[in-house]
Amino acid sequence: MDVFGSFALMLALVAGVYAAAAGISGIISRKTLLLKSASNAGMAVFILVTLAVASLEYLFFTDNFSMMYVVEHSNRALPAAYKFASLWAGQEGSLLFWSWLLSIYAFFVLFLNRRKHPELMPYVGVVLACVQIFFLILNNFVASPFGVIGTVAAAGSGGAHLVAQPDGKGLNPLLQYPEMVIHPPILYLGYTGFTVPFAFAMAALLGRYPGEKWIHITRRWTMIAWTFQSAGILLGAHWAYAVLGWGGYWGWDPVENASLLPWITGTAFLHSVMMQEKRGMMKVWNIWLVFTTFMLCILGTLLTRSGVVASVHAFAQSSIGSWFTTFLCIVFAVCLFVYIRNRDYLRSDNQLDSLVSRESSFLFNNLVLLAACFAVFWGTLFPVFSEWFTNNRISVGPPFFNKVNIPIALFLLLLTGVGPLLAWRRTSMDSLWRNFAWPLAGGVVAGIAAFAGGARSPYAVICWILSVFVGLTITSEFYRGARVIAGRGNTNLVDGAVQLTLRNTRRYGGYIIHLGMVLVFVGISGQAFNQDVQSDMGVGSKIAIGPYTLVCQNFDQVANQNFQSDRATLEVFRNGKSEMMMYPERRFFLASQVTETMVAIRSSALRDLYVVYAGRSPDTGRPVIHAYINPLVKWIWFGGLIVVLGTLLAMVPNQQPVIALRAVPEISGAARAGTPVSVLAKGPNLHD
Amino acid sequence: MIDRRTIAKLRRSRSIRVAAVFFLLLPALAGAARGQSSDRAKRVGGKLLCVCGCNQILTACNHVGCTYSHGMLQEVDDRVARNEPDDLTIQAFVQEYGATVLAEPENTGFNRAAWIMPVVLPLLGLALVWIVVRRWRERSQLVPAAGVSPEMLARARRETDGRNDE
Repeated sequence: MDVFGSFALMLALVAGVYAAAAGISGIISRKTLLLKSASNAGMAVFILVTLAVASLEYLFFTDNFSMMYVVEHSNRALPAAYKFASLWAGQEGSLLFWSWLLSIYAFFVLFLNRRKHPELMPYVGVVLACVQIFFLILNNFVASPFGVIGTVAAAGSGGAHLVAQPDGKGLNPLLQYPEMVIHPPILYLGYTGFTVPFAFAMAALLGRYPGEKWIHITRRWTMIAWTFQSAGILLGAHWAYAVLGWGGYWGWDPVENASLLPWITGTAFLHSVMMQEKRGMMKVWNIWLVFTTFMLCILGTLLTRSGVVASVHAFAQSSIGSWFTTFLCIVFAVCLFVYIRNRDYLRSDNQLDSLVSRESSFLFNNLVLLAACFAVFWGTLFPVFSEWFTNNRISVGPPFFNKVNIPIALFLLLLTGVGPLLAWRRTSMDSLWRNFAWPLAGGVVAGIAAFAGGARSPYAVICWILSVFVGLTITSEFYRGARVIAGRGNTNLVDGAVQLTLRNTRRYGGYIIHLGMVLVFVGISGQAFNQDVQSDMGVGSKIAIGPYTLVCQNFDQVANQNFQSDRATLEVFRNGKSEMMMYPERRFFLASQVTETMVAIRSSALRDLYVVYAGRSPDTGRPVIHAYINPLVKWIWFGGLIVVLGTLLAMVPNQQPVIALRAVPEISGAARAGTPVSVLAKGPNLHD
Repeated sequence: MIDRRTIAKLRRSRSIRVAAVFFLLLPALAGAARGQSSDRAKRVGGKLLCVCGCNQILTACNHVGCTYSHGMLQEVDDRVARNEPDDLTIQAFVQEYGATVLAEPENTGFNRAAWIMPVVLPLLGLALVWIVVRRWRERSQLVPAAGVSPEMLARARRETDGRNDE
């Protein structure tokens, strides 16, 4: 099966090279048959890489310990779900997984558009094939997952037998958690997904594709990748929170930051793309945002796999970094060359009329997002720059990122409330006041209430003021629209809000995403009120934290074939009343000989009680329990879910509104005077 | 064919083996942990990183089997208990572990760039946006809107004001 997998991968590379070569020849010679053949070869890559992935999974499930990758990342006692997840546990497998996801995207792009956009698709196919070729070269020649441990000569026959280990070293215990089965695939779908908008943008520029159709397609694919990236980042944060046992969910680790960078530029693109769609502006900006997002995905992969920066999440240090650096340089050079050659194609159709307008808010929004992106990028790579320039390596840890990024994030939150309520082209002060007076008053009241309630962290109070402000601006938008629809259709406000949303899913889906982000911000602000206490405990010992008292009832051991665990049984009292039992554990994984914590979490809307079995005190020999109160953490996960749902909603096509038009006998001067100009200009669908 | 007695015997011996392995591994399983630090010690610990490579704040590192954090935290506690100034404690750690122990770059020499650039670059970006916007506005004032009278434009603005499409 290893030979079969290797062979499939090699064939995939051949098919990829053919897809690129035939695509380029087809574009030059304008031969339709050649282009069709290139497209088919592009789709064949998917089938071949799928076969390679299936053979590697087969090797895992049959415990084939003659394969190096299987030995390193699996063992006989490993549960089936984790054997499946072992595919992406190491460098080689995860690169194969990356190729597979990319081939899935390429397959769908080529298949769904096989009869559409004949001037655009050949270029798209070539760009996708070129990216696939790079990853398939790595899969075949640099980091093949089908390497064997070794062979021994078979006596008499002149052949050779594979050497096999009796058992594997097991999967990294940190990955033996249900979320780790879904977090990497979702995040990788985000990373690889950004290749598609890159391919469309590059294709539009290369082919000087007329009109703005390509930007609609690019936006849709960016939204898909962005959704996966958002969900992947949140799942990763939740995994860190539930598994790593340090009481937090985001540590500003280089690998975490690497996933945030393309997400930020992708977010900037999803906002600025509206400028191009509505007003034909910011075309150069948009194309470079798409290029940058793709390059940041490659940079993220480089950081994760090269050992350039120290990270607990990184794969083993290897020479693969030089391949990614070279690829990144080539991509940048190609982007720059193609842009310079075709820059006149990206000329803006319109100009900005006023600083108080939707356009300028998008400009600021993009500027702030890029400032955040740069701050994260700079902090992540600064140790490397420092070493280059001063020969001294330094660390850039969470305090730096918090100091730099919190003010930027709060400004962004403010723009989230302000931007959507500004009109295109120009907004009068009257309208500004009308839209913002109540939300602003609500925000100020929330701030006063928070301060009166004892909140003294300035960032947290500002965050709450802005969150209430943004929440109210969004609610008022829904309310105003729903009231009009409810009035016209004799229906209630909720029904009106649903109809309103379905009529313009993109706009109201966007508001829902903003609402989700507000919840995430509120959740993050809870960090300002974290508490923790650590104490060694015997049976009957108590520790108090917040409104809870933890009483140790028992310490015991649990064992199965995969791990052995030291477990505490804690009874949690609140106001003297027993509320629940919690069981924090420390597990010793037999195959990998590694110990990890299993945190016990009791989550509510207000706060999480987070309990870690931290080890044994060297002085007393008694188990040490570390308990945390983490306020509002649940809001982050709930907000993240709202963000994802909002994005999915924004991708649903608009439902056409049913509007009964009154008869207009003649468009005379008088009748014209009574007809709203917006209707004359745009037809009945005011929101499209 | 294996009889019941043999099966029971095998099960007993397996249980004994598992128990033996478990107790042998108990020290590894248990790890080492420490008691509560004072608020000041936590504050000082918050300015340092654990040097085990986890990239976490010293007070947040609870990696099982981390051979650094326990000793480092103990040292912070001791120095704080001796009422040593925070700066001196931090400098002592820098002497011992190098500059990588600091959780954030010092605002001196080249490292000052770490703090300056995230402020300077957005400001430059803002200036650039300002220049671009001004140029756009100047251009839009020079080009009259074709086919639309100023009255019509004013009316359209009145009617669409506050009605925000995407």
